[in-house]
Amino acid sequence: MKTLMKSGLSALALTAMASGAFAADLGATDEPIKLALNEWTGQHVTTRVAGEMLKAAGYEVEYVTAGMLNQFQAIADGDIHATLEIWSSNVSDQYAVLKDAGQLEELSDLGLNAREGIAYPAHVADLCPGLPAWEALQECAMNFATAETLPMGRLVDYPADWGTPGADRMAGLELPFKAIPAGSEGALIAELRASTEKKSPLLITFWQPHWAMSAYEVQFVDLPAGEDACFTDPAWGPNPNAINDCDFAASRIFKAGWPGLKDKWPAAHEILVNYTLAVEDQQPMMGAVDVSGEAVEDVVSAWMGANEDKWKSVVDAAIK
Amino acid sequence: MTSLPQEETGPWRTLSRGAKAALLVLAVGITCRLLGAQFDWLVGWPDALTVPMTDWVGATVGWFLSVFKPLARAFSQLLSYPMEWVGAALRSAPWPLVVGAVTAIGWLIGGLRLAALGFFGLGFVVISGYWVEGMNTLALVTVSVPLAAFLGMAIGILAFEVPRLKGAVNGLLDVMQTVPAFAYLTPLIVLFGFGPVVGLIASAIYAAPPMARNVLLGLERVDEEIREAAVMSGGTRRQQLFLIEIPAASQQIMVGFNQCLMAALSMVIIAAVIGGFEDIGWEVLLTMRKAQFGPAFLAGSVIVVFAVVIDRMSAALAEQRVAQSKRVALAIFAVGAAVALWSVLANWNPSGVAMLDGLAQTVDTGVGTFTASNGATLDAVKNTSMFYGLLPLRIGLADAVLPFTWGFKWTAVHTMVFFAVAAVIGGGLALRGQVTAGVVVVIAALFLEIGVAQAPWPLVVIGAAALGWVASGWSLVRLVVVLLGLILLSGLWERALLSLYLSGASVAACAVVGGVLGFLSATSARVWAVVRPICDMLQTIPMFVFLIPVLMFFQIGEFSAFLAICMYAVVPMIRYTRQGLISTPEDMIEAATASGAGKWQTMFEVRAPYAAPTILLGLNQTILYAFAMLVIAALIGTTGLGQSIYLALGQADVGLGVTAGAAMAILALVADRLVQGFAEERRKALGL
Repeated sequence: MKTLMKSGLSALALTAMASGAFAADLGATDEPIKLALNEWTGQHVTTRVAGEMLKAAGYEVEYVTAGMLNQFQAIADGDIHATLEIWSSNVSDQYAVLKDAGQLEELSDLGLNAREGIAYPAHVADLCPGLPAWEALQECAMNFATAETLPMGRLVDYPADWGTPGADRMAGLELPFKAIPAGSEGALIAELRASTEKKSPLLITFWQPHWAMSAYEVQFVDLPAGEDACFTDPAWGPNPNAINDCDFAASRIFKAGWPGLKDKWPAAHEILVNYTLAVEDQQPMMGAVDVSGEAVEDVVSAWMGANEDKWKSVVDAAIK
Repeated sequence: MTSLPQEETGPWRTLSRGAKAALLVLAVGITCRLLGAQFDWLVGWPDALTVPMTDWVGATVGWFLSVFKPLARAFSQLLSYPMEWVGAALRSAPWPLVVGAVTAIGWLIGGLRLAALGFFGLGFVVISGYWVEGMNTLALVTVSVPLAAFLGMAIGILAFEVPRLKGAVNGLLDVMQTVPAFAYLTPLIVLFGFGPVVGLIASAIYAAPPMARNVLLGLERVDEEIREAAVMSGGTRRQQLFLIEIPAASQQIMVGFNQCLMAALSMVIIAAVIGGFEDIGWEVLLTMRKAQFGPAFLAGSVIVVFAVVIDRMSAALAEQRVAQSKRVALAIFAVGAAVALWSVLANWNPSGVAMLDGLAQTVDTGVGTFTASNGATLDAVKNTSMFYGLLPLRIGLADAVLPFTWGFKWTAVHTMVFFAVAAVIGGGLALRGQVTAGVVVVIAALFLEIGVAQAPWPLVVIGAAALGWVASGWSLVRLVVVLLGLILLSGLWERALLSLYLSGASVAACAVVGGVLGFLSATSARVWAVVRPICDMLQTIPMFVFLIPVLMFFQIGEFSAFLAICMYAVVPMIRYTRQGLISTPEDMIEAATASGAGKWQTMFEVRAPYAAPTILLGLNQTILYAFAMLVIAALIGTTGLGQSIYLALGQADVGLGVTAGAAMAILALVADRLVQGFAEERRKALGL
């Protein structure tokens, strides 16, 4: 009843409410809210936790598989209502276009602390003594050389459509490495796997949270901290003549939804805006799925049961 | 630019067309090579002469989208009904019922052999645990194949009935087959909305051309006598076509249907890239992202199983067959229904079954172990191919020969010696009367020294134009120059050369390997029994699956991309070579045998010439497939037009995507027209 008071409804509406329960605040509970499932496990965990929260609030939820790059048009059209884990490092420009046109609504940060960097599987430390200090790479670049990159070392960079952060670092720090774009996430993982199997050298641009970080004991190279000045002021950092002579700037992970979400399902909109998930929570769930082979649904529902304090308050605040 | 010297001196007039063209190209090549260092514009197309074509294309497409969106959305709505119905029917039907029905149909069509194929094929899907996903995929194909086959049939008949349109139709088919779906994915989603229907449309667009081509080829090759008989027996043109000529061409049409089916299945993955429903492609994408070859292969195999079952049954339908007992079929179906009843009552569904996961895991571990234990060998294979094959072809001997690749540094002296040797060989050939061959040797040496990716644009354009002139004439020259000129103007030339180099190397390898395998398959049924399922698998399994082991073995780079392209593009070469060699009319073989020709003599002097047009059609398909694979190969990290298409996808730059896709199609089209031109000439020379 507190909700009704807060929204200041008239007696007429009150009678309507008596039969329709909390319809005004929850919105169309008889229609499913469609959440996008993208191509990676972490996102499945993030999405299913949010979906369970919406169900706890009394909504119907439908999970729709959607390609990361192609989902934004679907959200603008209202075919999908929200997507919950967008990485600023590889979001398509279509997102910005649709957002600026008012066809997409950004729903605040997810709170997942991501880190990107130049990385290597554990065994590579033996092939290049001095790691993780970045200066060591200057000396042992030749150990990383291949047919395509000779006489420089080889750095496996992100797929070209995610940008060229690895190449930018190598140029900024004047390291003798040639950046080879990977083409896809699968190609990055295959490189990590092959390198671990063959105990061959590998320098790669990578990020966490990611299941492969622990599976292949990936470690980051220590680079000078990525402060704002590094990206604008050449004088900053170890190389006085170039920008980008530092680590990656922190990447942002956020949520977005269909603009009609707010009106059709007001409480759901509030839940999704306030929803956050920490790396410490997401990473073990990812491990349970990708390493132990459990089903995402089971892992998420076990976590929801054990960690009510982490999500219940968000749901309660929206519906009570 | 394209006008040929018109000197009417004695020796010039006696030269053949080919020799004249080759000499001109050589002159252009030498000029560019000598002056290229001083005049940059002789090598790279000057930026000042490019136009913002990607922006224009983007604007045009944007306008097109806004106008046709309502219509397209309605069409997409229309298509979604049959898909939902079929999908709902397949999903809600208990699996034993489906297995029983397919087995029964198999029995009716082909007796025990096809019944067993249906039973074990679908049984495999059941125990793989991908039943629901498989049914979703099947629903997509069930709608897209008839759509593509109908479209292909209509286009083929149109081209046959209105010969004037043949050229335009061929161009359209090439565009449909070579502009990669990824290039127009973004506009397609804007146009048709999100969901599996977009994948369905993309797969129909891609699958229709092989059908159309084969319908056309089949109709053209209908015997004159049959045609005349049809005319004499009266009847309208439509009756002649549908009652006489199409049935007479049915064998070739079935080849087309088969290819159409395979192409549609191979494009199922596009539906998953977009998303919207859980099908096999989605599973492949998830496992591909984790670089798990075993599970990806298992999921991909479900698509292969569907392809093989549908293909064999549809092929048997076209052949004459003995009637099978309907009672047995009914009994099989009844058993299926009974088990279905039990499964419903016992509430047992196969989605939890994953009997093959252990096997998938073993395969996956096997790939890892193989990589670990053969790392050095694999690296040696890769480095050898790179150093001595791909690298010189791309950047030329002058840049590729370095102390750490070949063991020494390429110098001006090496260049002199290299060209001197080429000149001696060329001159020798010319003196023996083979002027064309001699000049071509020197031109090839020139390309090898400069590298395809660094070839001066006048050399490439005039070279292609000269080939066109020799193959067909001035109209082809015009086409080639206009199309290549468009790429130059668009500013994508450098990337186009990289793509040209990669697909050119792959096509050359495929032509040799595929030709040999096709020949062996034609001579030995046992070889074909092994090769055929491999062809089916390579053509229908989503190619993403094979990127994983290729990447594990050879890492990111051009050699991996080269292998991936070859694996896919070699298939039509094998199939068409075999088809051509075995379909020689019986009377021709009998005549040869009667005149005392041995088996091999018949093969080379009767079968091979008769098969030449079919084999060249295979080469044409191989070229188109190689270009189509470029975009998948870009997932391995190649840097040509394929990469531009992904960049465009990431930046939602519709103009860049479509332009890069169009540039890819142009390269394929030019290569294809040149091959066709020579094929036509050969056909005339052979009197076919």
